[in-house]
Amino acid sequence: MSKQQKQIVYFLFFSILLLVGCRSSNQSIKIGLNTELTGEAPAVGASCVKAATLFVNKMNQDGGVDVGGKKKPIELIIADNGSKADEAVVVAQRLITQNEVVAIVGPNISSCAVPASEISENMGCLMISPWSTNIHTTTKNDGAFKKYVFRACFTELVEIPLLAQFAMSHLHLAKAAVLYDMSSESPNSAAHQFQESFLKAGGKIVAMETYTSQDRDFSAQLTKIQASHPDILFIPAYYNDVPLIAEQARNLGITAQFLGYNSWSTPEIIQLDSHHYLDHAYFSNHFSTESDSPLVKKFIQSYQSTYGTAPDDIAALTYDTMGLIVESIIKAGSLNRTAIANMMANIEDFTGVTGTYKFHQGNHDPFKNVIVLTIENEKFVYVTTLQPE
Amino acid sequence: MDFTPEKQSPILEVSLLNKNFGGMRTIIDLSFELAPKECLGIIGPNGAGKTTLFNLLSGIIRPSSGKILWFHQEIQKKSSSEIVHLGIARTFQNIRLFKQLSVLENIRIAYDIHLTYTPLQALLRTALTREEEKKSAQAAMELLDVFSITSLAHQPAGSLSYGDQRRLEIARALALHPRLLLLDEPAAGMNESEMYQLVELLQWIQKKFHVSMLLIEHHMAFINGLCDRTLVLDFGTLIAQGTLEEIRHDRRVIEAYLGEAVT
Amino acid sequence: MDYIIQQVINAIQLGSIYGLIALGYSLVYGVLSMMNFAHGDLFMLGAFFCLLLEKIIPLPLWLALLLTMLVIGCLGALLERLAYRPIRHAPKVSAIITSLGCGLILENITLAMSPYPRHMPTLFQNSIFHFHGITISSLQIIVIGISLLLMILLDVMIRCTTLGMVIRALAWNRLMVSLLGIPANRIISFTFALGAALGAAAGLLYALTYPVVSSSMGIAIGWKAFIAAVIGGIGNMRGALLGAFILGSTEVMSITMLPSTYRDLIAYSLLLIILIFKPYGILGEPPTQKI
Repeated sequence: MSKQQKQIVYFLFFSILLLVGCRSSNQSIKIGLNTELTGEAPAVGASCVKAATLFVNKMNQDGGVDVGGKKKPIELIIADNGSKADEAVVVAQRLITQNEVVAIVGPNISSCAVPASEISENMGCLMISPWSTNIHTTTKNDGAFKKYVFRACFTELVEIPLLAQFAMSHLHLAKAAVLYDMSSESPNSAAHQFQESFLKAGGKIVAMETYTSQDRDFSAQLTKIQASHPDILFIPAYYNDVPLIAEQARNLGITAQFLGYNSWSTPEIIQLDSHHYLDHAYFSNHFSTESDSPLVKKFIQSYQSTYGTAPDDIAALTYDTMGLIVESIIKAGSLNRTAIANMMANIEDFTGVTGTYKFHQGNHDPFKNVIVLTIENEKFVYVTTLQPE
Repeated sequence: MDFTPEKQSPILEVSLLNKNFGGMRTIIDLSFELAPKECLGIIGPNGAGKTTLFNLLSGIIRPSSGKILWFHQEIQKKSSSEIVHLGIARTFQNIRLFKQLSVLENIRIAYDIHLTYTPLQALLRTALTREEEKKSAQAAMELLDVFSITSLAHQPAGSLSYGDQRRLEIARALALHPRLLLLDEPAAGMNESEMYQLVELLQWIQKKFHVSMLLIEHHMAFINGLCDRTLVLDFGTLIAQGTLEEIRHDRRVIEAYLGEAVT
Repeated sequence: MDYIIQQVINAIQLGSIYGLIALGYSLVYGVLSMMNFAHGDLFMLGAFFCLLLEKIIPLPLWLALLLTMLVIGCLGALLERLAYRPIRHAPKVSAIITSLGCGLILENITLAMSPYPRHMPTLFQNSIFHFHGITISSLQIIVIGISLLLMILLDVMIRCTTLGMVIRALAWNRLMVSLLGIPANRIISFTFALGAALGAAAGLLYALTYPVVSSSMGIAIGWKAFIAAVIGGIGNMRGALLGAFILGSTEVMSITMLPSTYRDLIAYSLLLIILIFKPYGILGEPPTQKI
C-alpha cells in the first residue's frame, strides 16, 4: 500500500468514526429543513433557514425543549432541494432515514412540497410546509388528509376567494385578465381558483394567458391581453417573473391594476423591480411587519438585529412552523414521530407571529386570516386584513 | 542499381521506411531518392502501399520507423500543414476539392498559406487592405488560365466535370508553390485525349515551375510520357526501380503483376 | 391590424435573439461537426459578465457590448482548447457529454457566485413610442438593430473574406485544409470564439430586454436556439437565422391565434413536421462524402 493510499484509508476510517459519533449523540431533538437554497426560489430558502436558525438558537439559549421532563436542545439539519421536485424527494428520504429527524420543515414551493409529502406520509415522519399553499400537499388523491403532513399557511382555497372578493368589493374592478406560469403547480392552481372565485363574485374574466417557467418574453401574451382591455391583471407567478411581466405590460401600454398573491411576498421582488412598475399593485399575503402584537414585534426585533433585514412572510411562517413542532413535542412528551404528529393534529389554539392557528375537525390546513399588502416606495405596505368566513 | 540522371544531391531521401497498421506491414524497409526536377513514377498492384507512401510523405500519418529527409532535414514527425509550408503538396486518388466553394476560391484558399498568419490578423488584414486579396485573386485567375478553366472560375467546384475537377485539384496543389508535387493517379477517370493533354500540361508545368514530381499511375503511357525513372512496389517492398524499359523485363515485376506462376 | 403588427414586432424581437444564439451552434457545428451544448451557458455568461462590468464601471452600451463579446469570445476559445480539442477524435457521444458537462460546470460556477437572480441595470434611457395603437420601445429598436447588424457582419465575413472562405472550407473537409498548410486549429479556436462572442452579445441584449439575470437563464433559450439551428439546417448560417425567425414567429403566432397554453405544443409540432419533410433542415444539405 502506497503512502497516499494509506492516507486515504486513514481518512475514511476517521470519517466513519466521526459519522458514527454524530449518530450516537441522541441527546438532541433533530429537526430537518428541506428547503430551496438554490434553483428558482433561493430567496425563499434563505428566509426559511434564517428564521429556523433564529428559533433554534432562542430555544437552545433558554435551555432547550422539555421532552417528558428532560430538557433537550434542538439540532437543525439544513438540506438544499435545489427547488427541484426530484431533489426534494431525495432530501426528504435522507433526512428521515440517515439523519433520523423527528420532523421536517419544508419544502416551501408546492412543486417540491407535494412530492416530498408523499415520502413523509409513507415513512411516518411529521412534515410541515411553511409556505406551500397547494391542496395536494396535505391531502391524498381521495381528498382525505395525509396523517403526517401539515402546513403553516392558509391554502389557495382560503386565500384566492378572499382576494377575488377584495378586487370586486374594495377595488370595484370587474374585468380581470390572468397571466400565469402554467408549468408550476401553485401559480397554475391559483389562476384557476381565481377564475372560479372571480366569476362567482360577479366579475368577468376577459383573458387567461399562460407561459412556462424560464420564459422571459411575454410580449405576445400581453399584446393579446391588451386587446381584451382588462381592469385587473392578476399575475400568479414566482417573484422573479413578476417584475418582467409588469415592465413589459406597462411598456405595451397596459394600464390595468396589477394583482398578485402570496408568491410575491419577498423583498427580492422590489429589488428586481427597480423601475417601480409594481407600485400600487395589491397582493394577498400571510404576514405583515406592521402588526401591533408584542409577539410579532419581538420576533421582528430579534430577526432584524440578527440579520439586518426585516423578516418576510416565509421567515414568519417558518418561525411559526418551528413553534408548532415544539408545541407538539412538548405535548407528546416524547420523540416518537407518530405521537408528535398526533399531537399536531390536535392543536386548537396556537398563537404565532402570522396569526392564530387552528387545526379543527381533522383538518391539516389551518384557518387563518389573509392580509392584503401593496407596494409603495420600495416597501410592502399594509392595506387590510380579510377574515375567512 | 543506383541511378541518378545528374550528379546532384537529392532533395528527398527516404531511408528504411516502415509503416505497420496493427500487425499489417504496409511499407517495409523502403529506401529511395529523388533528384531536383526529377519526375519519379510509382507503380505496383493494388495494396502495394503506394497511397500509404504518399500519406507518410505528406504527414497525414507517421512512419513506424525510418527517416524521410527533405533537403537533408528530417520531416517524418512534422504535421501535414508544416510539410506543406516546406514545399510538398499533393493531390488525392479520390478528388478532395471544397465542392461548395467556387473554383476560384479553391485556388485562393491555397494561396492563403502566404496570406494568413493568425485569424485575427487575417480579419484585420482583409478589413484594412484589399490589395493582397486582389493579388491572390489575380494569381489564382492566372493559374486557372494555365489549366484552361478560367471560364468556370465562379462555378461551385462540385459542379465541374470529372476531368476538370482533377485539373483543378492539381492547380490548387500548384498554388501552394511546392517544390515537390505528389500526384495520386492524376489521370484516373480521364479519357485518352484528356490524358495526353494532362501529360503535356504537366511537362510544361515541370519546366515552368521547376517542380519535382512523384506520380502514382496505372497508365504506362502516362508514366512513359513524364517519368525519368519508376519505382515498383509490391506488398510494401521496393522490388525494382529504373527506366520503364528496364522494369518491363524485370523478373520480379512480371511475377508481381502476373502471379507466382511465371518462373 | 395594429394588433397583428404589434405581434409581428414581438416575433421579430424574439427571432433576432434566437438567431444570434443559433448562429453560434451552427458556426461550431460547421467547423467541428459537434454540438456545443455549453453554448446556452456562454449566452448566460455574456449577461452575467456585462452585469458585473456595469457594477464596477458603468460603461455605455457599445463599449460594454464589445468588451463582453471579447471576453466571452476568449472564454469560448479557451473552452475549445481545454475541453473539446483533447477529445476531438473520440466518439461523438463523448463530445456531446463533454459539452453538456461544461455547460453544467459554467452554470454551477455562476450559481455558486450568485444564487439569486440579479437585476440588470439599464444602459440607456429607454423611451416608448406609440403610433396608432402600436407600441415600440427604443430598447426594442436597438436590440433588433444590433442583432441584425451582427448577423449581416457575420454573413459578409463568411461569404466575402479569406477567413470566411477558410471557415467554409473547414466545414467541408478539415484534413484537406491542413493539407493546404492552413493552421486549422487556430481557425477552429477563432470560430469558437466568434460563436461564443455572438452568444454573449445575445445574452447581453436579452438581459437588457428582460432585465433579470440568473444562472439558469441560458438553458431553455439555449435549447430553443439549438432547435432553430437544426430546423434551418445545422452548419448553415443563413439557415440558422431562418430557423430562428420561423421559431419566433411560430411561437408568437400560436399565442395570437390559440390559447397560449398550446404555444409550445403547436410550435414544436410544426417544427417536427418541417423536419419530416426536410430532414436536414430547410437550408441544410444531406452530407456528401467527407474524407
